[in-house]
Amino acid sequence: MVYYLIICRSLTYAQRTAQVLERVGIPGWVQRSPKLISKEGCGYCVRIPERRLTDALTVLRREGMTPKQVFLQTADGAYSEVRS
Amino acid sequence: MIYLDSAATTLEKPGAVPRASAWAMTHLASPGRGGHAPGMGAAKLMYDMREQAARLFHMGDPEQVVLTCNATHALNIAIRSLVKPGGTAVISGYEHNAVTRPLYAIPGAKVRVAAGPLFDQDGVYEAFQREVDADVDAVICNHVSNVFGFIQPVERVAALCRERGVPLIVDASQSAGVLDVDMEGWGAAFIAMPGHKGLYGPQGTGLLLCGAQAQPLLYGGTGSLSARQEMPGFLPDRLEAGTHNVCGAAGLLEGMRFVSRTGTARIHRHERALAGRMMDRLERCRGIQVFRGPRECQSGLFSIVVDGVDCEEAGEALAKRGVAVRAGLHCAPLAHRTAGTQDTGTVRFSFSAFNRPDQADRAAAAVRGLTAAKY
Repeated sequence: MVYYLIICRSLTYAQRTAQVLERVGIPGWVQRSPKLISKEGCGYCVRIPERRLTDALTVLRREGMTPKQVFLQTADGAYSEVRS
Repeated sequence: MIYLDSAATTLEKPGAVPRASAWAMTHLASPGRGGHAPGMGAAKLMYDMREQAARLFHMGDPEQVVLTCNATHALNIAIRSLVKPGGTAVISGYEHNAVTRPLYAIPGAKVRVAAGPLFDQDGVYEAFQREVDADVDAVICNHVSNVFGFIQPVERVAALCRERGVPLIVDASQSAGVLDVDMEGWGAAFIAMPGHKGLYGPQGTGLLLCGAQAQPLLYGGTGSLSARQEMPGFLPDRLEAGTHNVCGAAGLLEGMRFVSRTGTARIHRHERALAGRMMDRLERCRGIQVFRGPRECQSGLFSIVVDGVDCEEAGEALAKRGVAVRAGLHCAPLAHRTAGTQDTGTVRFSFSAFNRPDQADRAAAAVRGLTAAKY
């Protein structure tokens, strides 16, 4: 499976992000950010299905919640940053 | 026992509160420290607690809700964030040591007291009008006096602070869960409150609602930005170093749910009615001075002085008769000085949502018994 990871500044922010997405029917799972992409140490992100990124970013922008970074997680486990 | 010391802490809690705390102790781990189920369960609980508080106190953003150990902890953060060494604070004449001692500890801090007469909201407001100017670092005002149950004109003081561009700290220790506490409406910089009084959570819990940039009082791990040595700049992490009191938060969440379900207005009416009932009975007794304000100024707690009886001895005697109260200066010598009771102290009675009218009557009878021999 391919996912997008929306990197958040804090656990609480990640929870709020997931909640905003769930309200519009976009499933979001809060999880710890992979160390490889979490350059500043421990952090949390929201994982969303590949096809929902555009909708998710639209909703978050509308709520004034700009993501810190967004990464694509491919099936082989690699991460690549995407421009949000 | 008739427990009338809810201004110190509420003793009877909704049943869900101890159940939730006990459950959390063995089922929830440390939020923000792991991605496993007990850790994420704790994270969800903390978020739910913040959301519940944000709804109850009219805030849009649950991130601005910080869990503290108590109201004193929250007030220390707020005061240290705003009042700088050599700075000036304006406080009401009814503040608790939780406000005055942190101010006293700030080197060179100057404190101006906006002292208005007891139960005179206009007088208090006019005192703030005289004292608040643009040079003031912060205005600090409690919503309800912990000694007299005097409801201070916080809404008007908040408007004054907004008009004059001065940050406001509200101590909602005796009002959270009882009166409407409106973070966004007041535009307060900070509102501090205990979790274990009118919110019916466990002792060891408090909340700080943040509307301004806050400085940490504690430094340490937050589970975020771990590679950096400075504390995160964002809330709640900035003010929540170290392992959270998750068991406390679990109980506090249930306590706030109880308050939301019941309604603060209903709780206030109930407590005020019981206090009024007891005051009615005591005012008919010779030798008892009841400090009672007009309806709009009086919460569900009040103080008395029994002529010729030391307040601490009165408190002891009532305890022996099965009535739990608080006597003395109530950690608020300033409030007693403002009201003129610093030499005698007072005996304070404070009600909760769980008290009943018959308890008010029996407590009044016990107080009458203190004066019976004399009159």
